Amino acid sequence: MDDASATDAVTRPLSRVLLAAVATLGGSLLVLALVLPVGTLVSAAGVTGIASALVDRDVVRSILLTVLSATAATLLAIIGGIPVAYLLARVPFRGRSIVEALLELPLVIPHPVIGMALLLAMGRQSVVARALAPVGLAIVNSPLGIVVAMLVVSAPLFILGAREAIARVDARLEAVARTLGDDRWRAVRRVTLPLARNGLVNAGTAMWARATSEFGAIVLIAYHPRVASVLAYDRYLTYGLSSALPVAAALVLVAMLILLVVRFTRRVERA
Amino acid sequence: MIRVTGLSARVPGFVLDRASFTVPSGDVGVVTGPTGAGKTTLLETIAGVRKHHAGTITLGDLDATALPPEQRHVGLVYQQAWLFPHLSVRANVAYGALRDRVVDDAMSMLRVAPLVEKPVSTLSGGERQLVALARALAREPRTLLLDEPFAAMDSALRSDIRAAVLSWASARGATVLLVTHDASEAVLAGSVQLRMNGGVLTVAE
Repeated sequence: MDDASATDAVTRPLSRVLLAAVATLGGSLLVLALVLPVGTLVSAAGVTGIASALVDRDVVRSILLTVLSATAATLLAIIGGIPVAYLLARVPFRGRSIVEALLELPLVIPHPVIGMALLLAMGRQSVVARALAPVGLAIVNSPLGIVVAMLVVSAPLFILGAREAIARVDARLEAVARTLGDDRWRAVRRVTLPLARNGLVNAGTAMWARATSEFGAIVLIAYHPRVASVLAYDRYLTYGLSSALPVAAALVLVAMLILLVVRFTRRVERA
Repeated sequence: MIRVTGLSARVPGFVLDRASFTVPSGDVGVVTGPTGAGKTTLLETIAGVRKHHAGTITLGDLDATALPPEQRHVGLVYQQAWLFPHLSVRANVAYGALRDRVVDDAMSMLRVAPLVEKPVSTLSGGERQLVALARALAREPRTLLLDEPFAAMDSALRSDIRAAVLSWASARGATVLLVTHDASEAVLAGSVQLRMNGGVLTVAE
């Protein structure tokens, strides 16, 4: 072994160890940064505090409103978003990049700004509000407003995720299905969507989770009825941090529970 | 019959340039040519799963130029089989079938019956091609577009299955267009032998 290769043999394992140490440290710090604030919040609220929050009628009502609104927004995004995602994944058309950029816009705009835009477009004096008034519907300070805000800020997560999931299914499978008698929609329903299912469920879960945690847009368009994030903020403003903590911790635990149920259900399905 | 006139299609990095030929009813046309010559594009364009921008396609007495794939009565089998991985072997074969009996016949003729218990993901390349062929035949197409569908089979099986498929087509008067790299298959051409190179088709009748 000459000198150069002997040095290589020593430095290579050393650099690997160093890389592993940096990766471990970085990973641990990241996990700590994610877990520490939430863990501190839950422990500060305490078991008694959380238990009392979970029987507080306002808290329960706000959590139910949050969950139902997020579910409605996600269902609407699935119904309207799958055709858009399919189009983006499969059909080349002029202006596709512009459509994609428009869809990504709500992900980069601060959400209070989206709330302001919604107020302008759908506020009490808007054309939309006047069109909905005769049928007894309103956007501002209504559950419908909450669903609209959740939809606008989080539907892009579903559509972009669904686009990726559909694009991963080879178009030739659809082509074969077409030669076997399926029209385009039937081929999509029988082949593409079942094969894209995991990706679609992931995209739907990500959207739903994002919608349940929405605050910035909702607080402007629908302060009432209060979703969980707005209620926690309201308690903080009115009574201070110690009163807001149990509500916030209860919200964290409910969200955690729902995510665990979704993951467990999917694991059982796969098995 | 397959009659193609002035057929042109564009795919990224490739142009199929004014292809014209006729394969008579019940006959076998064979397409040869180097990899990337446009053979698969030609078949996909005839099947209607790839758009063309010029030319006409007649399949039997049907002007198929503007018809969607599902109305062209074609069976398309790729070299890679493209089985539906979320379905069982039997569900794959029965996917487009109009009669249950035809599914059983196709499975028996193409030796797929012993494979029905296997998950699609565990099939070998040759087995996948058998299932793909059975799936196409179970639809009872009037035109069979075969893109090297025997390539993954061993030579003994290949010649048996090839004979079975061609005899099935001949018994039903179905017209076959077969893409192949195999010189022994090139001699199967009835009245039409086609050669593709760089998107240009030449006919040696």
